[in-house]
Amino acid sequence: MAIQEVRVENLPGLPDTVGEALLYEIHNTLGIKEITGIRTAKVYRFEGIDRDQAVVLAERLLAEKLFQRFSINRPLLEGGTVVEVAYKPGVMNPEAASLVKSAADLGITGLLAADSSREYAFYGPGAVPGNIDLVLKKLLVNETVERVIREKPQSLILEGRPGRTEIIPIRGMSDDDLMDLSRDKLFLNLEEMRAIKNYFLGLGRDPTDCEVETLAQTWSEHCGHKTFKAVLEVGGKIKPPLLKRLQDATRGTGHPLVLSAFVDNSGVMAFFDGWAICGKVETHNSPSAIEPYGGAMTGSGGVFRDIMGTGRGARVIASTDMFCFAPPWMDQSEVPPGCLHPKYLLRKVVAGVRDYGNRMGIPTNNGSVHFHRDFRAKPTIIVGAYGILPESTCRKGKPDPGDLAVVMGGRTGRDGIHGATFSSGEMTHRTVDVNASAVQIGNAIEEKRMSDALLEASREGLVKAVTDCGAGGFGSALGEMGSETGVLVWLERAPLKYQGLSPWEIWLSESQERMVLAVRPDHWPRLAEICRMYNVEAVVLGTFTGDRMLKVTYEGETVCSLEMEFLHHGLPERRLKAAWIPPEKQEAVPGPPGDWLEAYCRVMSHPDVCSKEPIVRMYDHGVQGTNTLPPFGGAAGDAPNDAVVLTPLYGKHFGVVISHGLNPVLNSINPYYGSLWAAAEAVSNAVAAGADPSDICLIDNFIWPFPDSESLGALDMAVDACVDFVKATGMPFISGKDSLSSTYRDAGGTVIKIPPVLCVSAFGRIRDVRKTVSADFKRAGSGIVLVGKRTPSEMAGSVYCRLAGAEGTNLPRVDIGTLIAVFRRVHKAIESGRVLACHDISEGGLAAALAEMCFGGEVGAVVDLEDGDVAEEFLFNETAGTFLVEIKGEDMPPGLFEGVPHRLIGKTTAEKAITVRRGGEALFMADTGLLREAWKRPMKEVFGP
Amino acid sequence: MKPRVCVLRADGTNCDLETFYAFEKAGAECRMVHVNQLRSGEERLAGYQILALPGGFSYGDDVHSGKILAVELTSFLRESLQEFVDGGKPVIGICNGFQVLVRTGLLPGRRLGDIRCALMNNDSGRFECRWVTMKVEDSPCIFTRGLSGRLLSIQVAHGEGKFYAEREQLDSLEAAGQVVFRYAGPDGLPTMEYPYNPNGSLNAIAGICDRTGLVMGLMPHPERFVDIHQHPNWRRGGFDLPHGLPVFINAVKYCMEM
Repeated sequence: MAIQEVRVENLPGLPDTVGEALLYEIHNTLGIKEITGIRTAKVYRFEGIDRDQAVVLAERLLAEKLFQRFSINRPLLEGGTVVEVAYKPGVMNPEAASLVKSAADLGITGLLAADSSREYAFYGPGAVPGNIDLVLKKLLVNETVERVIREKPQSLILEGRPGRTEIIPIRGMSDDDLMDLSRDKLFLNLEEMRAIKNYFLGLGRDPTDCEVETLAQTWSEHCGHKTFKAVLEVGGKIKPPLLKRLQDATRGTGHPLVLSAFVDNSGVMAFFDGWAICGKVETHNSPSAIEPYGGAMTGSGGVFRDIMGTGRGARVIASTDMFCFAPPWMDQSEVPPGCLHPKYLLRKVVAGVRDYGNRMGIPTNNGSVHFHRDFRAKPTIIVGAYGILPESTCRKGKPDPGDLAVVMGGRTGRDGIHGATFSSGEMTHRTVDVNASAVQIGNAIEEKRMSDALLEASREGLVKAVTDCGAGGFGSALGEMGSETGVLVWLERAPLKYQGLSPWEIWLSESQERMVLAVRPDHWPRLAEICRMYNVEAVVLGTFTGDRMLKVTYEGETVCSLEMEFLHHGLPERRLKAAWIPPEKQEAVPGPPGDWLEAYCRVMSHPDVCSKEPIVRMYDHGVQGTNTLPPFGGAAGDAPNDAVVLTPLYGKHFGVVISHGLNPVLNSINPYYGSLWAAAEAVSNAVAAGADPSDICLIDNFIWPFPDSESLGALDMAVDACVDFVKATGMPFISGKDSLSSTYRDAGGTVIKIPPVLCVSAFGRIRDVRKTVSADFKRAGSGIVLVGKRTPSEMAGSVYCRLAGAEGTNLPRVDIGTLIAVFRRVHKAIESGRVLACHDISEGGLAAALAEMCFGGEVGAVVDLEDGDVAEEFLFNETAGTFLVEIKGEDMPPGLFEGVPHRLIGKTTAEKAITVRRGGEALFMADTGLLREAWKRPMKEVFGP
Repeated sequence: MKPRVCVLRADGTNCDLETFYAFEKAGAECRMVHVNQLRSGEERLAGYQILALPGGFSYGDDVHSGKILAVELTSFLRESLQEFVDGGKPVIGICNGFQVLVRTGLLPGRRLGDIRCALMNNDSGRFECRWVTMKVEDSPCIFTRGLSGRLLSIQVAHGEGKFYAEREQLDSLEAAGQVVFRYAGPDGLPTMEYPYNPNGSLNAIAGICDRTGLVMGLMPHPERFVDIHQHPNWRRGGFDLPHGLPVFINAVKYCMEM
């Protein structure tokens, strides 16, 4: 039967916001003003039904006759040049399943398949092929997942026959052959390829494609963390592996709240009343670089599943996002070949995080965006998630022989093949072509219903162990879960999105929204019932054995038979040399500015300092109703807070605090002090809200260039900094991730190393959220106290210096000895109720923090410099671990900050201006309205008014 | 006896926990009910005194926000829904739940299948989450008894919240006093100005009820402000009572008095 097409558009005369948004982009991003109008129509296609049935669907489902009209099997948009954009075949369109469901609900029979897409009609003298091609290329079509439809498709059903399992004749391969096999596909080095060859020589047979791929996935940097587990030789000295150092440091703290560290899908700490909280932070750089919307979505979806798959199942309560991009104003000619423009990336990544988090109902409420031109080849996309679960089920059980391996959730498709190995490889100008299949479009609703079902199953005690299908798919999840028992898998049972997948593709597909559970056989019927109730597909994919073999069959044929021992312990240990080379940076000390007000405004409008409110507003940061310290507050709702505080147990005052810190600029200048800064900043943000430093745990994310000896030297220093931080403060790292592929290489051999980023996330518990504070000044006439230790002349890497064109080398060296005492003091002061507001000092320095506090309170401030203060250093130094505190009354309360560096620097005023005085004379006076305008402008330019 | 509340869930419902809590805090006894449980007969609407359709993205808001669930309800639960409403039992739809009520026809005319209003894409073209002020209008709505004239600070979080109806329909809503809430500016008056009116809703309408006042829908989320500490500025003072709570208390009271 022919395909029926239904087109739907808003009635002429009513706004078409999709068209208007695109037109805004065309005018502002592409500068094509001669395209003067755009109308859009949704296109729905149905296979297997007749025209009358299509009319029923149009009238009762697709078109709202109040404001829309439709057509059947004929064009709808009038005039203009019409272009249709659709997902490529095989890329899952989440809407298709809803169309099929609703058609069935309406009693439509015979429907075989459905799809949807969108048509755009361009109007005006500029609606010519050249311009429209540009619009398609730059704004509308990401060729990785989308395409322009030129003619009506013949069928919506994807046909295909499964490929056969192939034998790889590895035993006869030379070293060159081995590396040819590895390149672009396996991303293993020669030594590792040889280990595989030798293993099969020993077995006296050649491997299947499935076996080789399984090994490559398990041994990938992404899954195996080879660099972090390698023995390092630094300056002739042998040092223990990076991961071991971090784990040992955590163990050394003996922290009483840690329930599980580095072993589960996320780190778990004790909460209150028998509950535990968990946190995980992930990177998703490579997929986001080539398809930012889908990449960011799958990043969020993946990290949410990490939380869901912690212990025996957790509920996700928060999401965070930290991004690094090149400046969105960068000229296109500066963007390297094969890379996407930073403004496009930023907008699409935000949209991906927005759509996944909002639809899942996870509040995204802590994050930051950083800009540096060296991210032009690849952005850094960090997404975190936090959850809550009963302490009694916060650790996984072990599957016993005979237990069932159940997969639940979405179906398996070809998407995401080679995701794990891909993200471990360097990005090259070929990446976009070769690895297109690594990108997926997430379906948040699939994940939401899976989460609903999983939580219910968990509550009923049906889940022995659970893990998500992330990188490496079933292979990784089952290989891990069955590592101590062995597992037998019947691949043909996996529900597929479409036919035609080879066994190894089913096995390693990274299709989203799937989880694997270990379930007692007598629990399976009830689990199946729960899944049915929530519209979640679940099948028994295999069984745990006792033979410590990973055995995978497809319709009776064995496609993989590997010893767990070799799979998990056969990877040759690496021994790597590391030697950091200090970057050649000139020490430069910019003097005072010619115009203070202009300098202040420039700092406030620097992309690292400016308000990110337009981004946060697009995230549903209030869903779940748990925000007690939201990202923005203050009298006008536009003043940022340092951390988020949530109350996940309704009706109780127990709080979860979440914050983070990172600074790519400082990390490039000196990895050790840059990393200390990141950790100090993360914790400062939590403490500024009122968190007790002894109730905080940490998560590390190292996003580093490909580990050559120089990068590895920097990494070694960064890890040392983390370890020293743990020792000095007693705060443990309980989860972490490394992503060592931030290197770009083009055809001409040009190498761009993306700046190394250590992102430290902090999360903790607060016994009583009523004893927390926000950052907005509460009234005029309060004293302002600067608390914490800093050396103001340490200006390198500051926004002030960068604006003067000088990064310098004399960066802030956080004194970790003093730091913990400062944290404790600030916490005690807030807890005592004598603090009205507190803001941590970071990018933009004291001046930026002060301005934000003034915005929030709709007040101004007077600040007095002392003899010896260098004004620009006093105002713009960015040492982490320092705070601005508003106290009750103008005078310093005795003892409040005893024993730690502090100074009463001024007071709040009713007049909305910031006045900096020396010896009673005004050095300058800045109107807060002007500062606020400068601070808000940049992101409005990127995201629209 | 505490009134029993059916908190209806479907795939993609996500404001169910806080809606549940808001009603429990108001003195009700709540139960999460999946639409499949109603379809299978495992649960019956008749066993409840209040029906709550929480926010979220039911079925991904595919095609139109709330549409797929609206089709499901009108296809399979037509009679029990109509019976529930005709029995004089309160129904509240929040955000996505409001969209569903409008797309079933229960609002504004409490006639299934008779769709008179719509919630369109926000004029800004963006999903938006922010605290707004809404003014409580004089209406027969049982959820806002005693609140008339009050200004409530409540959060919105939606991408499709622009209330739209043809002029005649709007006039009829106004004449019958079916407008329950309007977005208000800093002066406390209804406004079309962004961002105080966050989506461009006609007549600044944030919520409406049917003529009996028993079926109510609104875009803002009163369930997110039932404890003082849920407001971003509770530390700045000025709140005696959480602004969203009375909406739920009123519904519970109404049932107790029945």
